[in-house]
Amino acid sequence: MFSHLEITKGANTGLAPKEIHPAILVLGLQFSEFKICGANARCIAALTAFQKVIQDYKTPEGMGNAIRHLKWEISTIDIEMSDDEAKKLLCEKIDNFIRDSITVADRVIVEYGLQKIQDGDVILTYARSSVVQQLLLEAHTKGIKFKVIIIDSRPRLEGKKLLNCLVNAGINCTYAFLHAVGFAMRDVSKVFLGAHAFMSNGALYSRVGTAMVAMMAKEKNIPVIICCETYKFTDKVQLDSFVMNEQGNPNDIVNISTTLAPKPGLLSEWLNKPDLKLLNLLYDLTPSKYITTVITEVGMIPCTSVPVILREYKPMVQ
Amino acid sequence: MESLKDASQKLKSSVKNSISLSAGADLFLRFVTRTSHDVTNFEACKEHLMNSGKVLVEKAAAVREKIGDLGVQFIKDDATILIHSYSRVVMLLLQRAAACKKRFKVYVTESRPSCLGIRATKLLCKAGIPATVIYDTAVGYIIDKVDAVFVGAEGVVENGGLINAIGTYQLAVVAKAANKPFYAVIESYKFVRLFPLNQYDLPTHTPDLLTFPDLEHHTDLSEDEIIGNYEAINPSVDYTPPDYITLLCTDLGVLTPSGVSDELIKLYL
Repeated sequence: MFSHLEITKGANTGLAPKEIHPAILVLGLQFSEFKICGANARCIAALTAFQKVIQDYKTPEGMGNAIRHLKWEISTIDIEMSDDEAKKLLCEKIDNFIRDSITVADRVIVEYGLQKIQDGDVILTYARSSVVQQLLLEAHTKGIKFKVIIIDSRPRLEGKKLLNCLVNAGINCTYAFLHAVGFAMRDVSKVFLGAHAFMSNGALYSRVGTAMVAMMAKEKNIPVIICCETYKFTDKVQLDSFVMNEQGNPNDIVNISTTLAPKPGLLSEWLNKPDLKLLNLLYDLTPSKYITTVITEVGMIPCTSVPVILREYKPMVQ
Repeated sequence: MESLKDASQKLKSSVKNSISLSAGADLFLRFVTRTSHDVTNFEACKEHLMNSGKVLVEKAAAVREKIGDLGVQFIKDDATILIHSYSRVVMLLLQRAAACKKRFKVYVTESRPSCLGIRATKLLCKAGIPATVIYDTAVGYIIDKVDAVFVGAEGVVENGGLINAIGTYQLAVVAKAANKPFYAVIESYKFVRLFPLNQYDLPTHTPDLLTFPDLEHHTDLSEDEIIGNYEAINPSVDYTPPDYITLLCTDLGVLTPSGVSDELIKLYL
């Protein structure tokens, strides 16, 4: 008669996935051991645990729109719907979001970007942007004759993956480090860069080093083209790279190896030196005056029109 | 729809500098697409479009009057204005300012090879406005005596930049270097869906522009023949980036270059 009810197994928090907030784990444990009894008490305890999760929660940079979209989807789910149905619906909505805002958007961006690549172009790009990679591969497939210069930087060396991919496709590539960008920029006709997020004041938030490449290009009057999906647009305004950023693992800087085997350099004793700190910043801000145009899935826009796109295409869901 | 698109393409390719033409055609095509969604009956749709077409043509003249009214505030009494080539909107604006009893002088660039500046000067003098022609090359010489620069345009591109008669970009650079305001006066139907990255990204730029002659035969040519040759390979329009433009006076209001993009996005949404 009671077979449809779940039997509460003894909870073992060690087996819980690591992403679960400890407050929730504690709550689960308390519930399973009946330390908290009574409907009201259990409800209050659950809500208090959620409060702790909310307080500790931090939206990763650039994913604000995606998370907001998800929260809105959750909030519009019909109360009558069963949990299973709701979960299925939410997963479907997430899939749709990925398809519309990322996969299809990338294809549209590539279509627009192809208009700006002609025979004889020397294109410079920095690190590895998935959209720029797709664009260059598609341009090559269409038979456009162009060369690529890939600028890379430590410690992530993401440009290597892009280099691998483009060379395998048969594109003529040159690979250089960031310190050589001034020299490499001499023969460049266009610069294509990717984005992590785009601020409302038209500033680009992208992999650290992007700002240097954009400034160098502007100095030589070379057009700087950013390929960016609209989901990365945010209504935040940021004036410099310090106020909001992310730090990577400082030990990545210590490793000076160029192969997979780590090779610690002179900085390996940095923890023992009280006056020495290692800073491994992950992102930087490129002011709008260094950017010529932004290619999005809704068209090519000047970077000052980012708030217009936010206003027209993504009205605040109230 | 297809036949309309073909017709529009034919029109664009028949005229040499089809930028303003393509802007108007694109806008009308856009209007057609939008209307076809609203109206279900084909006959009613057709009639609606024909009427709108007529209204557009009539409005074009009225639009210039509206711009004239808006732009007059930028011409101060006792000012010296510099204009480039001949533009109907700029002419109307200056005539309107004179009618408002403002006293001002106008320098007009000769605007070779079309020499349309001469026609402009004639019209201005007829309207009682003191005007004189200056060489295109004398712009740098005269800029410190000037209070403001006014130009028309063939088209305004998506970032707020201008496409206009050759020499406009030069004029804009000199004006910026001398800290003089550079105003563009233009009708809103000339907003075009182009985003040039630089001069060489314009649709009017062809590979045979500004090429070098075959040296073997060049020494045998007469002066007239040389002139004929280089006139054929020189560009007739150029692109002025938005950084050099102070404000644009349009019938949608006085806009900054970034405001143009705002209007275009709303229009083509």
